[in-house]
Amino acid sequence: MIGELVWRNTLHRPLRTLVSIVAVGVEVSLILLIVGLTHGMLREVAKRIEGVGADIMVQPPSASMFLAFSGAPMPVSIGARIADLPHVKAVAPVLVQLSSSGGLDVVYGIDPSSFDAVSNGFVYLQGHRLESPDDVLVDDWYARARNLKAGDTLHLLGHNFHVAGVVEHGKGARVFVQLKTLAQLTGSPDKAALFYVKCDVPGQTALVSKEIGQLLPRYQIRPIREFLSLMTATNVPGLNTFVRSMIALAAAIGFLVIFLSMYTTIIERTRDIGILKSLGASKAYIVRALLGETALVCAAGIVTGILMSYGASLLMRELFPTLTILITPGWILRAMGLAIGAGLAGATYPAWLASRKDPVEALAYE
Amino acid sequence: MNREAWSAVAETAKIAVEDPRSLVPGAPDLEPIVKTEDLWKVYRSGALDVPALRGVAMEVLPGEFVAIMGPSGCGKSTLLHVIGGLAQATRGRVLLDGNDLSEMTDAGRTKLRRHKVGFVFQRFNLLPTLDARGNIAIAQHIHGDGFDPHRFDVVTHMLGLAGRLRHRPAELSGGEQQRVAIARAIINEPKILLADEPTGNLDTKNSESVLHMLRQLNQQLGQTTILITHNPEAAAFAHRVLHMRDGQIVDSIPAD
Repeated sequence: MIGELVWRNTLHRPLRTLVSIVAVGVEVSLILLIVGLTHGMLREVAKRIEGVGADIMVQPPSASMFLAFSGAPMPVSIGARIADLPHVKAVAPVLVQLSSSGGLDVVYGIDPSSFDAVSNGFVYLQGHRLESPDDVLVDDWYARARNLKAGDTLHLLGHNFHVAGVVEHGKGARVFVQLKTLAQLTGSPDKAALFYVKCDVPGQTALVSKEIGQLLPRYQIRPIREFLSLMTATNVPGLNTFVRSMIALAAAIGFLVIFLSMYTTIIERTRDIGILKSLGASKAYIVRALLGETALVCAAGIVTGILMSYGASLLMRELFPTLTILITPGWILRAMGLAIGAGLAGATYPAWLASRKDPVEALAYE
Repeated sequence: MNREAWSAVAETAKIAVEDPRSLVPGAPDLEPIVKTEDLWKVYRSGALDVPALRGVAMEVLPGEFVAIMGPSGCGKSTLLHVIGGLAQATRGRVLLDGNDLSEMTDAGRTKLRRHKVGFVFQRFNLLPTLDARGNIAIAQHIHGDGFDPHRFDVVTHMLGLAGRLRHRPAELSGGEQQRVAIARAIINEPKILLADEPTGNLDTKNSESVLHMLRQLNQQLGQTTILITHNPEAAAFAHRVLHMRDGQIVDSIPAD
């Protein structure tokens, strides 16, 4: 019976109920999209670095794990010394540059031969490998986002490049140019930001890392697996704080909307509360009826929010193909918990007020 | 409660009502179901104390149909609210079926209301979102014994509501709404039915119909009833009429 009362009351003011459901939906989708975007981007970057196929990454001392934020203080010649070590199959120097033309993109300056040796080469969907200094390779996602094809011109870093080929995504960056060209454009001749190292036998990674460490003391020598394990929001300065702030903001939206909705509800239903009290309904019964209504709105809002998140994710994939949104069951559950928690917290005070109403005054309410 | 038990209750109550001694306050073999002693209710209005009840002493016996009359503001409704446990007396005692309301907590009075009191109000006070069936059934649900379909059928047939149960209050006439309110009030077999101006919002025909029903409930089921009214014709349906003035009961006379 209380279920019927909750259901009927929820339907009594359809617009208010709809607004509350949408607000909870926004709360849930905000959480899922922000977390999904953060985790998706990190995972996508990690997958691309893993896709290079190297076993070890060498960076200069104090370099950031965010490759694009590191300078280029290492001479390219270091690569030859690393290549001379036992069990080293190939070494690829890479210059990394952030480009902000038409969006934030990481550009790799590579030596095509050594990069191919480490990564087993690109899979070409169109065109050919880097040959002339003005050649650029773009991956298929980048090409789709910018509507590029082999033979087109790409303006990048203040320079007009010729799109030599479109390659399959997943090899470190989305845009590749000649190492020497990028070095000239960024004023870092014969410098590299990192070296990808491939071992002749994967089991020798620890040994090779140790040897490189002895050769280049104070440099950061990380097996790729270790590097990938660092690619989490926790290790990104300020990212976790940002994500938590966004989640708190989303939960606050849910809390305030439900609070306002239930507060106006109990004022509007003052006489109904008096009627229930005259019938002998306990305070707990009245609280249960109001919290039941909130739970119903939250449940509908959660379903709406999940659908909105998947819808927005699909839309963003169409509009911005290079963006990755990762919606996981774990975060869906957490978003559900937060939405229900914030909703029930928002309804608790109005429900408590309702349960304490004087029945005679409530019955006289106009 | 099954049909036989319900009929037995009705029969017992009928005998009690037909016994003329039960109509006489202080009858030796009947304990009053409602008894007030030096009952005061004082409201605070700004810096002023406004007494609504001034030492009310009264008794109502089981099976009695008592009307309380008096001018507006004389304290009739306040008395009904205090007897029904909706309001707490400032001073004095209210005994309802042997329970001293003045000693009870709010939760205790709520429980007592749930099990022993049925209210009928002038403005019907039905829940607007529920249909007639829901408005009656919710009283059973709050009572805690669950939905009793037999009892529900008996009451709704008795009050002529069988064909109107799927309608919401806004789709019912005033008379029908008040009959739903009466059904809700008696569905849990309360010890006492408290009706506060139940015909105040009804036309003559519906008023008469509602009053006949209250009398029928009293006569056939022995339902103890206290009726608040301005109307002497309504009061005439009761066994006894108490007159109130300025928060006090000034006389108690048998109805015509």
